[in-house]
Amino acid sequence: MSNAVKVQPRKKPLLPRIKNYAGFYIMALAVLAFLVIFHYLPMFGIAYSFTKYTIIKPPVWVGLKNFERLFGMPNFWSAFSNTIQLSVIKLLLTTGFSVILSLLLNEMNNIWGKKLSQTIIYLPHFMSWVVTASVFQLILSPTGQGLVNSILMNLGIIDKGIYFLGSSATWQGAYYVINIWHDTGWGTIIFMATLTGIDPGIYEAASIDGAGRWKKMWYITLPSLANTIITVLILNLAKIMNLFESVFVLQNDAVMDVSQVLQTYVYYQTFNSGGIPDYGYTTAIGLFRSMVGLFLMLVCNYASKKVRGRGIV
Amino acid sequence: MKKLLTLVLALVLCMSMFTASADVEKPEKITIFIDGTVVTEPNGQAQFEAKWEELTGIDLEIIQPDHDAYYDVLQQQIASGDWPDVLILSSTYYAAYANEGVLWDMTEAWENSATKNSGRMKNESVIDGLKINGRLYGFADGIGGGCVTYVKKAWLDAVNMEAPTNWEEYAAMCDAFVNNDPDGDGVKDTYALTAAGFIGTEAPYINYLPEFYQDAYPSFYMNAEGKWVDGFSEPAMKAALERLAEGYAKGWIDPTTLTNGTKDCRNKFYDDTTGVFTYWAGTWATNLKNNLISNNRDPELVPLAPLAGAPGYFDRTPPVWAITSTCENPEGVFTWFIDTILDGGDIQFLWTYGVENVHWSRKAETVLGVEYAEGQFHMAENLETPGTAYTKNHSDPVSTLAYFADGYYTDEFIDPVTVMIQPENVASSNLFAANSRAAWLVPSTDVMSTYNGDLTTLKNELIAKVAMGEMTYDEAMAEYAKQGQAWSDMIVESLNAAK
Repeated sequence: MSNAVKVQPRKKPLLPRIKNYAGFYIMALAVLAFLVIFHYLPMFGIAYSFTKYTIIKPPVWVGLKNFERLFGMPNFWSAFSNTIQLSVIKLLLTTGFSVILSLLLNEMNNIWGKKLSQTIIYLPHFMSWVVTASVFQLILSPTGQGLVNSILMNLGIIDKGIYFLGSSATWQGAYYVINIWHDTGWGTIIFMATLTGIDPGIYEAASIDGAGRWKKMWYITLPSLANTIITVLILNLAKIMNLFESVFVLQNDAVMDVSQVLQTYVYYQTFNSGGIPDYGYTTAIGLFRSMVGLFLMLVCNYASKKVRGRGIV
Repeated sequence: MKKLLTLVLALVLCMSMFTASADVEKPEKITIFIDGTVVTEPNGQAQFEAKWEELTGIDLEIIQPDHDAYYDVLQQQIASGDWPDVLILSSTYYAAYANEGVLWDMTEAWENSATKNSGRMKNESVIDGLKINGRLYGFADGIGGGCVTYVKKAWLDAVNMEAPTNWEEYAAMCDAFVNNDPDGDGVKDTYALTAAGFIGTEAPYINYLPEFYQDAYPSFYMNAEGKWVDGFSEPAMKAALERLAEGYAKGWIDPTTLTNGTKDCRNKFYDDTTGVFTYWAGTWATNLKNNLISNNRDPELVPLAPLAGAPGYFDRTPPVWAITSTCENPEGVFTWFIDTILDGGDIQFLWTYGVENVHWSRKAETVLGVEYAEGQFHMAENLETPGTAYTKNHSDPVSTLAYFADGYYTDEFIDPVTVMIQPENVASSNLFAANSRAAWLVPSTDVMSTYNGDLTTLKNELIAKVAMGEMTYDEAMAEYAKQGQAWSDMIVESLNAAK
C-alpha cells in the first residue's frame, strides 16, 4: 500500500490568470462579438416566420399559416425536389471528377507540367458565376455561332442547333457540365494534399513486389484517399440546401420546372409579387431550408461516426 | 431682360405660393430620399442643393443611396420607422406603399396646386393615371416613356420593301429579313429581330415585342367596363402566342431570345445580326444612330407606327415623387417642394438642366471639342465621367409634363430643347406620343402579394414554352387552368373588391 500523498498543483488565482492571457481574451472578445451579432442575434428573426410581415406595419402573428401555405404550393415542392436533385448530383459529379483528376495529376512526373496543369484547372473557380454563365451561353448557343452546336452540325450529327440552356430536356445536363468545369479543379486541392501525404515507401515496397501503376493506384492511392473522399462528401452534403447563384444565372423562363430551387423560389416570391413581399412567408421558407440542412448535417454526423469512427460536429 | 423676367416669374411664383398657401406653413427643412436619377454627389449635388435652397429659402436634406441598391435601402429606411418627408418611387412600390398607408393623400393639394392650375400642363392625364381608386398619392414631372419599333432603312431598301403597316406586311418583312440577305454579305446569317426574353420582367411586360402581342396583355388590367381582369386567359393572348410561335419557328425571332439581355439585343442590332429593334423612344433614337455609325452601319432608322388593329405602344407609369404619411407638414412640403418642380421658371430649369457653370453654361468655351460662342447654351462636361457631356438633370426636357412659363425663354435665352435635341429623337418621341396608351397602375393587395410571385413565374414559363414550340397553346392553357387559374381568380377578386 502506498503512502504517497497526491499533490494537487496549486492553481493561480483567477485575476492573474486572466492577466496572463489578456491578449487571447481580447482576441476572443472580437470573435464572440462577431458570433453574437452575426449568428446568434439574427436567430430572433426566426420568429418572423410565424408572422405576416411587410416591413411597413408591425408583424402580425399568424401561427403556422405560412407553413400551411408553403406546403400547399406545388411550386415549393418542385423547388425542393430540384434543390435536392441538382445539389446531390452536382456534388457526386464534381467530387468524382476531382478524384479522377487528382489521380491523373498525381501520376505526372514532370513537376512543371504538373504545376501548370494545376494552375489551369484551378482558374475556372475564380471566375464569377455571372461571367461563367455568359461564356457558356455563347459556347452553348443554339445558333451556328455556338461552339458545341457548330461542331455537332459540322460533324453531321445534328442539322439544327440544340438550345441546351433553353430546354427543360437539356438544361440539367448542361448545368452539371458547367459545374464540373467550374468546380472540379478547385476540388482537387484537398485530394492532392492527401496524396502528397502518402508515404513514398509504400509505393517503393509495392514496386519491389512487382506492382505496376494501375495496381499501385488501385491498392494504395485510392484506399488512402477513401477517408478524405468520404469527409468531403459528408461536409458538402450538409450544405446542399444553399444552392442559388449558379442556378440563378443560368435559369430562364422556359426551364423553371427543372431549375427552380428553394433559394430562387424565395427570390421570385420577393421580387415577382407585384407588391411588397410578405417577409414572414419568405422567412418561413428559409426556416424550412435550415431545418432540412440541420437534419442533413445530423445524418452526415451519424454517417461520419459510423464510417470514420468520429463525428464532424 | 432675362433677369427682369426671372424676377417677375419669381415674384409671381412667390405670390401664387403665398396665395394658394395662405394657411400653409412654409417648412424650414425638407428631407428627401432619392435615387440616382437626381444629380449625384460626384456630379455636383452640393451645388444643386445650394441653388435649390437659394431659390426656395428652405433647408434641403438629401439622402441618396447607391442607385442600384435604392429600393433595398428604402425598405430598410421604412422598416426603421425614420421616414423622410419626400421619396421617389417606381410604379410598383408606389402602388404598394399607397396600399400600406405609407404615402400622404395629395388629391386635394394637387387639385388646388399652382402647377395644375397654371395652364402650362402638357399632359395632365399622366397625373390622372397615377390615381389609385380615385386618390392621388404621388406626382410625376414627366411621362413614363416607352418603346417604339425601329426598322433599318437600308434593310428595307435591300429587300425592296416599305415600312409595314399591318401584320401581313410585317410578317413578309421579317421573312425577307431572314431569307433575302438584307445585309448583303452573301450569307444567310440574319434574323428579323431579337428581344430580352419573350416577356419583360416589369410592367408593361410586352413592350419589347409589341407587333407580336398587339392587343394581348398577359397580366392584370382594367377593361373597358372598369373591371380588373387577367389578360392571360383572354382570346387575344392566344393570337399573340401563335404569332410568337410562328415568328420563332420561321426564324424571324433570334433563337437566343430567351437568354438574351438588353445589351445583347443592342449589340445584335449594331452588328447587323437583326434589322428590327423595339427600344426606347426619345434619346435612345439618337444613341442607336450613333452606335450604328460607330459600327460602320447605315444609321437611318424608320420608327414604325403601330400595326393596323394594334392598340399602340405602352407608356409606362412614371416614377413618382411622394410625401410620406408621417411628414409633419405635408401641405407645406407639397406647396414648397412638389408644386415647385414644374414651376415654369428657375426651379423647373434647375430640375431640368442643373446648375449654371456646373452642369450647363452660356460662356464662350470649348467643351469636348465643340466651340460655343458667348451666350450659347450648352451642357457641360460630365464631372464624374469626363469625355461625356450632361444631357439633363432629373426632369427630361422633352417628356416633361409642363411647359415653361410664357416669356421665360427669350431671343437671348432660347429654349435649350430647340438646339440640343436631335431630329430622330423628336421624331420617335412624337410618334410615341401620338401612338401610346398609358400602362395600367395595378393596386397592390394582400392576395396579390401572396400569389402573384408564383403566378407570374408560371405565366412566363408557359409563354416561353409556347413561343419556342415546346407546348401548344391548348396544353399551356390546360396547365394554367390546373395550376394558376385559382390564384388568378383570387387576385382579380381582390383587385375588384379594393376599388
